[in-house]
Amino acid sequence: MILSIEEVTIRSQNKTIVDQVSLSIREGDWYALVGQSGSGKSLLSQSIGQMLPPRLQVEGRIVFKGQDLLSMSAKEIRRVRGKKVAYIFQDYQGSFTPFRKIGQHFHEYLKVHGVTSKQKRYDQAVEALESVGLEEALFHRYPFQLSGGQLQRVAIALALLLTPDLVIADEITTALDSVSGHRVLEMLAKKQKETGCSILFITHDWRHVRRYADRLAIMKDGKIVESGGKHKILDHPHHDYTKQLIKAAPILGDGLRSGLDKERKA
Amino acid sequence: MLMITFASFLFVRLAPGDPVLTILNVDELSVSQEQVEQLREDMGFNKPLLVQYGHWLIAFFRLDFGSSYVTGQPVMDMILRGLPATLELTVGALVVMLVVAIPLGSLSALYRNSWVDQMSRIVSIIGAAVPSFWLGLILIDVFSVRLNWLPSMGRDGTATMILPALTLGLAISSVYVRLLRSSLLDSLNQEFIRAGRARGLSEGRIFFVHAFRHSLAPVITVFGVSLGSLIGGVVVIEVLFAYPGIGKMVVDAIRQRDYPLIQGYILIMAILVFVVNTCVDLSYRYLNPELKIKERETN
Amino acid sequence: MKRLPKKRKQSIQVGMAIIFFVAICISVLYAFVILKHDPYLTNLSGRLQSMSLLHPLGTDHLGRDVLTRLLLGGQQTIGYSLLALVAAVIIGVPFGIISGYKRGIIDRLFMRVADGFLAFPDTIVAIVLVGLLGPSISNLILAIILVKWVNYARLVRSTVLTEAQKEYILIARMNGLPARKIMTKHLFPHIIGHVFVMASLDLGKIILLISAFSYIGLGAQPPMPEWGAMLNDSRPYFESKPELMIYPGLAIVLVVLLTNMLGDYLRDRFDVKKEVQS
Repeated sequence: MILSIEEVTIRSQNKTIVDQVSLSIREGDWYALVGQSGSGKSLLSQSIGQMLPPRLQVEGRIVFKGQDLLSMSAKEIRRVRGKKVAYIFQDYQGSFTPFRKIGQHFHEYLKVHGVTSKQKRYDQAVEALESVGLEEALFHRYPFQLSGGQLQRVAIALALLLTPDLVIADEITTALDSVSGHRVLEMLAKKQKETGCSILFITHDWRHVRRYADRLAIMKDGKIVESGGKHKILDHPHHDYTKQLIKAAPILGDGLRSGLDKERKA
Repeated sequence: MLMITFASFLFVRLAPGDPVLTILNVDELSVSQEQVEQLREDMGFNKPLLVQYGHWLIAFFRLDFGSSYVTGQPVMDMILRGLPATLELTVGALVVMLVVAIPLGSLSALYRNSWVDQMSRIVSIIGAAVPSFWLGLILIDVFSVRLNWLPSMGRDGTATMILPALTLGLAISSVYVRLLRSSLLDSLNQEFIRAGRARGLSEGRIFFVHAFRHSLAPVITVFGVSLGSLIGGVVVIEVLFAYPGIGKMVVDAIRQRDYPLIQGYILIMAILVFVVNTCVDLSYRYLNPELKIKERETN
Repeated sequence: MKRLPKKRKQSIQVGMAIIFFVAICISVLYAFVILKHDPYLTNLSGRLQSMSLLHPLGTDHLGRDVLTRLLLGGQQTIGYSLLALVAAVIIGVPFGIISGYKRGIIDRLFMRVADGFLAFPDTIVAIVLVGLLGPSISNLILAIILVKWVNYARLVRSTVLTEAQKEYILIARMNGLPARKIMTKHLFPHIIGHVFVMASLDLGKIILLISAFSYIGLGAQPPMPEWGAMLNDSRPYFESKPELMIYPGLAIVLVVLLTNMLGDYLRDRFDVKKEVQS
């Protein structure tokens, strides 16, 4: 297990948003967390890196490679964020500070995590950009000069720059058109294959679950109603809510085939 | 621009009170009709208005605003003598304002609803209601009359600068403390702050490198818009501290109906306002590269 | 803006306003009904007196009763400020409505003028006018009106521009309502709230401006008991009698504080935040 969430509860002042949730992610898994907006899946993912807004309270344990992330000090968690656990967000525009060039983001990221040589940082950044199919020229552009798909690919390059063990992808295609979204996910899948990282993939889109996930969990009103292997759940859903969701989801033929072999694991 | 010059020319000519009489009256001597006519001839007042304007315009582009009715000195010389003092005072006040507003605004935003925030809120609510000249009177009373630490009059080295700059700086800073606070709060709520945090950046780096610069645009906007109250504030403070800048000069000129001097002041102010507004525009472009690049693309 | 619970914050404001109002009533009664001092009557043998029953706040350097002058000064300062505001609103609002609704040549002309004013900060315009017409309170008021009406017209214009796109105006137009009716019956009631809020936020600024100009001798002239002018008059006597400095200053601070609170309260009530602030 690379990450075990154990009985995590998230509360605001007057409401329990996430209620005693447990799940665990294995190394190299593409773990999909499915649910409608408001089900608490995003907040759960934010609690992993202690990223929740201060007005929310968390209980429980989140064990990452044998260490409880929730009990880490601010300084310790900072070393985990970005380096061991990386985030990619839905709002690609908001992932970048508007007045800083793409290259400055790479430089800052690497510098903060201990890469002191400027040349080395530059080489590594260009390599990362090229590995997600983007040109070196983007290095000197501002975020607003890039398209949404480009930005999200840069976000992937950034997130995987330090080969983290876990990537948390929070609805990363929701704000993109379907073609760009497809490209972005293909890129993520390719990078996962290269680096062997685990992915916590938060989504409400069944098509993506079908194509990429190994295992999944379904969340409703702050609780996990069902979890397990993809085929088991898709073919034999137990919970009513799961059945409802599967029924309501648009069913796509096999027209768009993933270029990757997703049958690596059971 | 030509409109302004013409308006400003008319302003002096159409001003009530005969300038000739003003000039002659200064000496408090009895004035004979001949003297009046003679002077009128000398100053070209008997020529048609447009001709006068032509002469005036030529002189204007040579930065020759004529001579003061009261002292007889060229207006430009008087302004150039007062301008450095005024600029010095303004810069001093702005430094005081920054020294007060940046830490107080930042702390109020970072520790929202803490005692620092509450205190700065109360101080700025009261600060918005305190007239700058009254604040100055109190500071004079405390620091120069009672404690005798600082001079309260004139301009003679750094010591005379402290109280005026402090008064003006404090008077304008209350607005900026609250403005910076709310602007910072807005920035800290932005998505890119969360993204920075997710990348493991330290809170200090997030605040100073990412949030702070993002918060400056509204502050600069307000600075540009409230330039007038700054200029007015300078005038009041200069009078209060008998500080020999162009603000005090223009007030004296208004009292003595010294129109060329008033006119010179207005034109200098127009130039200064233009310069400051240009700087404001340029700093927008620095703060938000999107503006800069869009402009380049449309050209 | 979530600091105190809204209710509590409002009740504090209302409470302060009531206390202040009662204090004014008492002092007005005392000064004008019981004491009946002439605010302009000088009495050189009774100069710079301290507090007494006859002169609750003492007398100034010319032996005039300070409380009476303070109250009369307040009446005049607030009166003049309101006058300037009302005049600016009366001129500005129709201009704004017509220019925003009718557009066309009037609008373009108006925007020219307004931009011209924007290039010159308020204070400069005031200095120019007072410089041209000579220092006096009425010239200062004139200058304030001249500067302020543009702001109101601008505010109204921009509100009308957005409002005119809304459906109820379009429906009224399709129903064949004449433009004059639309402007007076539909647009005007919508706009007046915004104008009211902006005016109440302006009031404190105008009071400050009048007293500052009076202090430097470009506004109210002696012997008029304007607060700024009173401070200027009695400045030579501060060292021996600091009260003369305290009272008028405190009066300004209190009045401006209260009008600002009133403005904030109205702004919260009408919930027009961004437009009015800028």
